[in-house]
Amino acid sequence: MKKVIALLLALVLILAMTACGGETAPEAKDPASDPANPPADADVIKIGYVSDLTGPTALWGTAGQYGAEAAVKDINANGGVLDGKMLQLVPMDGKGEAADSVSAFKKLVEEHKVVASVGTNFSSCNIPMASVADELKVPVLGTATSNEQVTVDENGNLHPYSFRMCFIDSYLGTVIGNYAADNLKFTKAALFTVAGNANSESVGSFIKDAFEAKGGKIVADEQCQEGDVDFRAQLTNMKAKEPEVIFVIMNDYAKTATFAKQAREMGIECLLMGHDGWDSAQLAGEANGALEGCLYVSRIGFNSPDAKAFGERISKEYNIGMEAECLFGYDGVMWVADAINRAGSADPTAVRDALEATEVFEGLIGTLVMDPATHNPSMACALYECSGDSFTFKEIVEAQ
Amino acid sequence: MFLQQLVTGISVGGIYALLATGYSLIYSLLDFSNWAHGEFAMVGAYVAIVFSTFVNIPFLPAALLGIAGGALISYGCEKVTYRRIRRNGAPNMFLMIAAMGLSNMFQQAANLIFSGQYRSYPFKLPVSTIKIGTAYIGVLDIISLVITAVVIVILVYLINKTQFGLNVRAISCNAYAAKVLGVKVDKSIAQVFLLAGGLAGVAGILYGMKYNVFPTMGNVGLKAFIASVIGGLGSVPGAIVGAIILGILETLVSGYISSSLRDLFSFTLLIVLLLVKPSGLFGVDVQDKA
Repeated sequence: MKKVIALLLALVLILAMTACGGETAPEAKDPASDPANPPADADVIKIGYVSDLTGPTALWGTAGQYGAEAAVKDINANGGVLDGKMLQLVPMDGKGEAADSVSAFKKLVEEHKVVASVGTNFSSCNIPMASVADELKVPVLGTATSNEQVTVDENGNLHPYSFRMCFIDSYLGTVIGNYAADNLKFTKAALFTVAGNANSESVGSFIKDAFEAKGGKIVADEQCQEGDVDFRAQLTNMKAKEPEVIFVIMNDYAKTATFAKQAREMGIECLLMGHDGWDSAQLAGEANGALEGCLYVSRIGFNSPDAKAFGERISKEYNIGMEAECLFGYDGVMWVADAINRAGSADPTAVRDALEATEVFEGLIGTLVMDPATHNPSMACALYECSGDSFTFKEIVEAQ
Repeated sequence: MFLQQLVTGISVGGIYALLATGYSLIYSLLDFSNWAHGEFAMVGAYVAIVFSTFVNIPFLPAALLGIAGGALISYGCEKVTYRRIRRNGAPNMFLMIAAMGLSNMFQQAANLIFSGQYRSYPFKLPVSTIKIGTAYIGVLDIISLVITAVVIVILVYLINKTQFGLNVRAISCNAYAAKVLGVKVDKSIAQVFLLAGGLAGVAGILYGMKYNVFPTMGNVGLKAFIASVIGGLGSVPGAIVGAIILGILETLVSGYISSSLRDLFSFTLLIVLLLVKPSGLFGVDVQDKA
């Protein structure tokens, strides 16, 4: 009897697994049924889009896909590229996983013959995709992929077919250091970073280099450990050096708020400045007034009128929240289309050359200035200022 | 600058003291280090968060409920886990292993229920400060130090001047003899767990007010343990002095040498003390302890 029950259970399990396995991830849609994609023929140029279209982070991937679809619609509505050729978007699910993203990209190139592919939004996926892109000789454009090795290998050699549309982690350091010296006219600064945290230390060192290159001096360079919650010992040292600004490079809003409160409690009244680690709706409220007037530099997001209008359009059209990834999806396709037009050809190698030769690309994500040696763009950033219980957009800081 | 570092050190040590006394109390009775003690503080802090944020009752009663939460969870652990292990006649090592398990369990549970996100109490003191000589001290620090001092005075009174304290001291000297003489050992141990848990609850709420509430905040218990070893395991006054010494040492090392070397100095002090004076500054014979 037990054996019969065990057999039945095994059968049910196998059936259940088969049923689950039968569910396929979203892939290329039937072009004929999709208004964003015209029927395939010789006059159609295909652009791939790889991202996390299913799974826990699908919110970003699908937002990017909707943005890319909107770009294809807009371009086709305006006559397409290369004097009348229509674009077609071929989205493919990479599930936010490196192996799936590489397979999706290969499939796009080998089966769908795309001229270029936009996505993903994860460095962990684009790092292995970069080598494959070099092999297949089809350009890939990472979106929010900020790790340095997306465009160069571990020895610093360029992946010629890999591009990105965001700045690398350390770029913000240069922007912050320059802004403090040039715009705020500070000459004495203190730096506070988290020991062993690659992002914090890297951004901190770029701030230091930029600030000192402009004639400023880092009078105190202090660190804390991951997990520390009391910073008063280091603040005492900083206070003794009387800095005009303290760069607080921590990636945890609660600790940044604690740092600010402890600084004010110790009578330190100078300006505090931070990077995108401060990007949190809770930070200003948590600091309870200790960050009033303080500044941080981060991405522009939906703070330009065009980006805001586009976000609202996608949000309304697809009934989703405003996700910045839709801006990347849109700009990715726009940048490829721009490269195709400049190259005068839809050959992937010619498109790659045109992408690399891009001097300035004006998109919804801001102005992008390409460095052909590293494929790392310089971009305009946004400055945010603390006012009451929130940070508000203050101004655009142009690409450095 | 030195005065400022000293003031900061005392303020850091104050929180360690509240937890270290709990460690010492339990160690003095049961000869084991209750590694879950830091998590009792965390539970207390979260109970206050639940009542002040989700139930929306005023902060003061929520804080009192948080202290009660710390006390009850500590009592519950004794009743459900430690007492049973003792009754099985298992060695003290088993108590310590159980405590490690409980510590992990509470951290994971807090992670699951509240996520790893930092939380803060809706009650916020304005960021204000008082200047003493050349040093600044935050109003919250002063309040926290005053509460710590009051709680410790009450604790020392309870231990030295009441029947409860007499029972506890008798058990810590010789549990068997105390039992023969009519002391209800299990009841007294349960009372000590309630008291230690309540102290941990106070520490958790003060810590939460200063540094936010998060699932791994109980890790500060490790520092409190070092403090109680410095002072002498099992000695309540020793735990307080040890905590202040550790707080000052950590602040001076962070300020004058490097924060990266802070823990190295703390643990080196612990090892040196265990080698040179294993009974700590105020402890009695601890051949078998820690």
